[in-house]
Amino acid sequence: MTENVFVISAAMIPFGKHRSSSYVGLGVSPLIDALQGAGIQKSDVDAVYVGHSYGGMMTGQRITKEIGLGTVPTVNVDNACSSGATAMHEAWTAINQGLIDVAVVIGVEKLTQFGGGALPLSPEDREVKQGLIMPAVYAMRATRYLYESEATVEDLARVSVKARRHGALNPFAQFRKEVTVEEVLAARPVADPLTLLMCCPTGDGAAVVVLASERARARLGAPNGMRVAASVLHSGQVEEGFRDMTKPEISYQSARDAYAQAGIGPEDLDMIELHDAFSIAELVYYEAFGLTEKHSAVALLRDGRTTFGGDVVVNPSGGLLAKGHPVGASGVAQIAEAFWQLTDQAGARQIEDARWALTHVTGGGTAGLDHGACTIHIFEAA
Amino acid sequence: MTPSTEVPVSAPIADLETDSLLGTFPEGPRLVGTECGQCGRTMIGTRVVCSSCVSREVSRVALPSTGVLYSFTRLHVGVEGVRPIGYIDLDDDVRTLADLREGDTPLQPGIPVVLGVEGDQWFFAPVAGE
Ligand SMILES: [Zn+2]
Repeated sequence: MTENVFVISAAMIPFGKHRSSSYVGLGVSPLIDALQGAGIQKSDVDAVYVGHSYGGMMTGQRITKEIGLGTVPTVNVDNACSSGATAMHEAWTAINQGLIDVAVVIGVEKLTQFGGGALPLSPEDREVKQGLIMPAVYAMRATRYLYESEATVEDLARVSVKARRHGALNPFAQFRKEVTVEEVLAARPVADPLTLLMCCPTGDGAAVVVLASERARARLGAPNGMRVAASVLHSGQVEEGFRDMTKPEISYQSARDAYAQAGIGPEDLDMIELHDAFSIAELVYYEAFGLTEKHSAVALLRDGRTTFGGDVVVNPSGGLLAKGHPVGASGVAQIAEAFWQLTDQAGARQIEDARWALTHVTGGGTAGLDHGACTIHIFEAA
Repeated sequence: MTPSTEVPVSAPIADLETDSLLGTFPEGPRLVGTECGQCGRTMIGTRVVCSSCVSREVSRVALPSTGVLYSFTRLHVGVEGVRPIGYIDLDDDVRTLADLREGDTPLQPGIPVVLGVEGDQWFFAPVAGE
């Protein structure tokens, strides 16, 4: 017997360069606001799950102690860019299995501590020792995708243009200024064919959601929120030889399992928040999620079918490209966006009658793997 | 007293001592690979266990000096100037990341490439005349 799990509130700080804030300074406000939004007390919380990659020891406890939320288990989770969504998956599992009733999920990261540049990867990794950085991985994905398909470098720019247009509507986004295809192409080259405006920015952020079982939601008189229809976590599988970088199998497999768990298909989705760390990723993931066939993603983008008024709004928040990507915070921030959309609280970027949402983050940077981790959640308005 | 069972004492692997991907072989300088004696899988670098069949019967081999460029990028950040790097699919279906040298043949996916060595630096470059 498994329990239905609901997200009953969400809160976050706007992503950006918050140089005066520590991990604690980033995390405490959304924690308080999320508890308040759920209408619950700290004593109602059964467990806390915290996703971060660079916070150091006891990041979760350092945040929760500020409001005297202790005693209950606090679990710190690292899965690179999937850290926050992995924390969510662990919280969901505990409630779904009936072990606990109420969980707090925190995603938090402070990237300004590194002073800019590409994300620091594990110095133990073979390819990292050779000088590999994440922009190079996605750039090679892009080179191959452009070589195999009809897509052009202008399409890569169009992804950024759409992200910025959406981000302009989102008060939580790091970038709220629109850009043109020409501006994206003329930006400083990072790793060909990717320019700076095709790469997500460096920033800091924190997002918090509160989960509850159906009976706890009733007992506490909490908001209906949204139901977790699927929660899937996959790890990468090593490949010593040929790998098709335009078909990241970990995202294909996670999407397949998530649809099966939720009992819906891609045609049912009203919105998707996907891992657009670099603009090429968005095209590849349209295909991974079954929105279209392999190598045909650009048609959806060019025809406006993945923006407001289209079939499914992809990254209404502006995505990682515009909203920002403080690694461990991103997965939880995506869920916050889904929560606001499915509970009709998304303001200027509200998707009309949104019922089904999918959120997706990967976590990469390991030689021989497509990505180290992939997390997909599907939510239904409750 | 003699114990009735013996537990294995797992040993750490000294992987930090075998870091370099370039090795010296009878045929000359080549990238170092590891071949599995059980299933035949070849892997990049020095390994003590096969990632396919988990056999520890593995041996050090020279990887082919030729392959095909799968994809590449020219890096503009974190380097002096511009650094071309790419993934090479070697002729024995082992993929390696490598520095690339630009030649007369423009870099593009699918072109044949060959290993070059200068001192302890190694790279791949387009095969001349292709
Ligand atoms: Zn083997």
